[in-house]
Amino acid sequence: MARYLLGRLLQVAVVVVLVATITFFLIHLAPGDPFAEAVANPDVTEKVRAHWREAYGLDRPLPEQYVKYVASIARGDLGWSFSAQRPVADELRDKLPNTMFLMALALLGSFAVGIGAAVLQVMKPGSLTDRVIGGLSLFLFSLPEFWLALMMIFLAYRFPIFHIPIGGMIDSTAHSSLGLGGRIADVARHAVLPVATLTLILSAVVARYQRAALLDVLPAEYVKTARAKGVPERTIVRHHALRNALLPTISLFGLAFPALLTGAVYVEKVFSWPGMGQVIINSIGSRDYPLLMASVIVGSIVVALGSLLADLLYMVADPRLAYDR
Amino acid sequence: MRQLAALAAILLTAIACEGGNKPSLGDAAATPGGTLVIASAGEPDVLFPPLTATITGRQITELVYDHLADLGNSLNTVGDADFKPHLAKSWAWSPDSLSIQFHLDPAAKWHDGVPVRASDVAFTYAIYKDTANASPLAPLIADIDSVTAPDSLTAVFWFNKRSPLQFFEATNPMVIIPEHALHGIRGQTLRTAPFARAPIGSGRYRFVEWNPGSSVEIAADRANYLGRPNLNRVIWTIAPDPNVAFTRLIGGEADFLEQLTPPELSQLATHNDIRVVLLPGLEYNFIQFNLRDPKNAARPHDVLGDRGVRRALTMAVDRSRIVQSVYDSLAAPALGPTVRAYPTTDTTLQEIPYSPDDARRLLDSLGWRVTGADSIRRRNGHPLEFTLTVPGSSKNRVNMAVIIQDQLKQVGAKLNIDKLDYAAFITRETQRKFDAMMGGWHVDASPAGIRQTWGSAGARAGGSNYGSYTNAAFDAQVDSALSSMTLDDRRARFKRAYQTIIDDAPAIWLAEPKSAVAINHRIHTPALRPDSWWSSIGEWWVPPAERIARDSVNPRR
Amino acid sequence: MIAEPSHAIPSRGTIARRLLANRSAVAAIALLLVIVILCAAAPLFAPYDPIAQPDIIRGKDLPPSALHPFGTDGYSRDVLSRVLYGGRLSLSVALVATLVSITLGTAYGAVAGYAGGIVESVMMRILDALLSIPRLLVLIAIFATWNDLHAKAFVIIVGLTGWYSLSRIVRGEVLAIKGEEFVMSARALGAGRTRILLRHILPNVLTPIIVAAALGVGHVILLEAGLSYLGVGLQPPTPSWGNIIQDVSATQVATVWWLAFFPGMAIILTVMAFNVLGDALREALEPRGMRT
Repeated sequence: MARYLLGRLLQVAVVVVLVATITFFLIHLAPGDPFAEAVANPDVTEKVRAHWREAYGLDRPLPEQYVKYVASIARGDLGWSFSAQRPVADELRDKLPNTMFLMALALLGSFAVGIGAAVLQVMKPGSLTDRVIGGLSLFLFSLPEFWLALMMIFLAYRFPIFHIPIGGMIDSTAHSSLGLGGRIADVARHAVLPVATLTLILSAVVARYQRAALLDVLPAEYVKTARAKGVPERTIVRHHALRNALLPTISLFGLAFPALLTGAVYVEKVFSWPGMGQVIINSIGSRDYPLLMASVIVGSIVVALGSLLADLLYMVADPRLAYDR
Repeated sequence: MRQLAALAAILLTAIACEGGNKPSLGDAAATPGGTLVIASAGEPDVLFPPLTATITGRQITELVYDHLADLGNSLNTVGDADFKPHLAKSWAWSPDSLSIQFHLDPAAKWHDGVPVRASDVAFTYAIYKDTANASPLAPLIADIDSVTAPDSLTAVFWFNKRSPLQFFEATNPMVIIPEHALHGIRGQTLRTAPFARAPIGSGRYRFVEWNPGSSVEIAADRANYLGRPNLNRVIWTIAPDPNVAFTRLIGGEADFLEQLTPPELSQLATHNDIRVVLLPGLEYNFIQFNLRDPKNAARPHDVLGDRGVRRALTMAVDRSRIVQSVYDSLAAPALGPTVRAYPTTDTTLQEIPYSPDDARRLLDSLGWRVTGADSIRRRNGHPLEFTLTVPGSSKNRVNMAVIIQDQLKQVGAKLNIDKLDYAAFITRETQRKFDAMMGGWHVDASPAGIRQTWGSAGARAGGSNYGSYTNAAFDAQVDSALSSMTLDDRRARFKRAYQTIIDDAPAIWLAEPKSAVAINHRIHTPALRPDSWWSSIGEWWVPPAERIARDSVNPRR
Repeated sequence: MIAEPSHAIPSRGTIARRLLANRSAVAAIALLLVIVILCAAAPLFAPYDPIAQPDIIRGKDLPPSALHPFGTDGYSRDVLSRVLYGGRLSLSVALVATLVSITLGTAYGAVAGYAGGIVESVMMRILDALLSIPRLLVLIAIFATWNDLHAKAFVIIVGLTGWYSLSRIVRGEVLAIKGEEFVMSARALGAGRTRILLRHILPNVLTPIIVAAALGVGHVILLEAGLSYLGVGLQPPTPSWGNIIQDVSATQVATVWWLAFFPGMAIILTVMAFNVLGDALREALEPRGMRT
């Protein structure tokens, strides 16, 4: 167990180094060396510039710079963002929780909706319910996230019944004057559309996956036995099949992380949600490459840890599994 | 067509209420309070007045810092008749008119409690003037020889020569900054000094905080020598996307938005809680060509360094249609590097006419010919191609860029559009790392600013003439116009100068927009000064009955 | 020459029969045919030049009408024409990028599966690492730093980052088939490694490859649309389905909804069709494909 965990953590580290390598060479080999451009930015203080020169060995040959870069990332020094005027690590520490918040809500929502939809479907495979839900999830599965987000805004405009805000995470000017309850309500109102968009798309993925998993389990021996005993179909699906079909769902949990992060990038852009996606988009517009590189690396860490978490859950759910992967 | 008619109706009402509201007796002064939220599409670059190059930065610094005297709404910059005392309580001219004595308000204090002294005024002049600091505003104070401080409350401005704009030059370009707060910092490090991001001024508002990428807040200086302003707080919320800024306005999260686009204006017609104010245009925008190689300023630009090419590109652009398409009736085609609101602007200037055929002929004759199948002109194998840097925060400028891209394609020139965030755009601009950029100048009340923006004085590093256009004849013509004493003569001389620069085509002059601003009805304002609506923010107020939650928030710190 | 041993996959006729029996598959194929023909022959069907700006004053932002069924954009360009031409670019980008992915994925998986031993485990570890890289983030980083890339480079880079999961499947199938009798007998007959891989093993792993191809095309269409929407994909003025929607944001969508709606529908219909086709192919090809 410990050995397996160690191996998996090592794998996470390898991924991070790999991504750091890719981004490093991307930026340094790009036409016009954008990193040099970032160093020359007049908004960078002399102190920071001196630190860069020292920490990244900017006047040294590229391979040496690379080693220094990876080393400083390993130390947790992600660099200085001139567009945010503070260390990249601080900026990401502020913005990452906002993205995690969106992702967590969407994850919960979509697993509830998706598994529920799949159970409804396999109660009677081929029925009208099955086909309608199947069609709907196929439709949602084929949607670009940003398009759904735009349509949500269109609807919110056309039917301004609940006055749901369409941008930002808080009412920036009133928020500080609100009490705790008011603040929570403020964030909740702003989260409605982004979470709904992410949830809809991810629940389609979950439903499609879960339906297939359930159908794989249904012909199994113990289900047949239960049927022979006269257990109602409903109970079979709920108690026997679902439990066993949850294992693949847990691995889906790991797969959902990249999808969620991807979705968050689009959704945050459309709804101006101040998270990692927004940071990435803004760092492109402001050519803040240190920030862009670090965001991509941190994004990869989130995804890698997500899949590690899924593996651990899998082991908890099915202790028979040997840790020999 | 219906849309246009609706727009016309809005414009009429807008003009009708331009006068502003009149404060009803006592209600504002009795209970100060209120929060003004300005939705801003651009982040300030730096809050250090000598170096600020962004309009947002200027708005903030002009509220935190004080001018010696303020120009009135008439915008008459000649002499001192239309100026009101501000940091200077009074002033006196020397008999030969070559110096002016300013007497500072003895009650004036910096926000840290230190009194404002005449030595601060002399220090301010030195900072603006010192070439090591590379202030883009230096060309605007070229006629000031020196500033002395004979006693702690008297500052004397000495001039090189008499000119109608002497007083304007002494009071308008500079705001007074505190010597003690700078700790002797000079040159390159000024821009990144902590003080440049957290200013200490003497204005009626003091700086509170700047959250990069999100907001800047200033708050009423309760103990100010000019009296406490009505509004408690003024906040600029920064939205990288113009649509977000507009959303904040109509959602009530913001109270004020400038540079409205025609579609936004028609949309505002249905919002009764927002009024639109039209101000005469003191702004013009353009595609500025970089005449020097962006990689090596010692060399001319390989495509755009050629006057003929620039003229041909200008001929290919149908400016009047572009302006009509993008601005509807909210702008006129720009005449040149000036605005119609100046009495010194002659509107009979000879523009380079729109004629794609002439453009093609001219390019042919210059050796740029279509050779390959891609219908892009080449000369010695080098394509007629360049990149236009555009601030993505300005929808109008992005729209114009896309139309121009198509029009240039018609004559065989390839335009690549590079959209950048405003801050990154400003960096490229000031570092002169561009082929062409979609720029704009918000001009001040005097045409003298042209020295800074298009004259040789602004062409060196640190100056605001980012395209590095230089023409000695043009400089001389501008100088002669600025020192002329009668209006007709000045107009005639400026006409010569403008004609020179138009013929050299260092830029394609695009639009001269009227400035349309939207204000939440809650916010009451006196008549706005056309060149700087923000200058009167100290007088704006929110009647207690109309206040909302954020109006009663007290500033932090 | 001894006749080749029979393979375990269903014959072409069977696949076709199974596909045609699936009504949604037939609909998907028909829809795809229509879309591909319309886009491929865009110059024939598009009513206007997709890039031309015929009347930037009176012709802009027009809602859908008989003259402009999908309306016009802010530069008076016809949205229907842009969608048709955009599809040409989006579809060909997706097809070529998928082809690159499929080729790489199959080769890598087959080599790993067939080689076995240390080579295999090293190759699979590398694959694990590659699989954990968030594709969109890396693509954003690539295209944001190298912002002058042409469509060709775009296609190749997208293709280069999309083969990992397929190669894992291929390797699994190859492992399973390696021990089968017909492979053993071919080896006994003295067939070389390459020959065995190409003649005996590859045809048997066609199922996952074809399915992955169909699903992959849909995925790449979404990816291209997303990247272009973010402004780091295919650059205007040449339209792609993603960059037509690029400039439509929050407040605008309320007024000029057609600019986002129609290109979006084109994307959705196409991706849906590819997904249905992928599902149907899986059912038709899989020997144990008893799913309803």
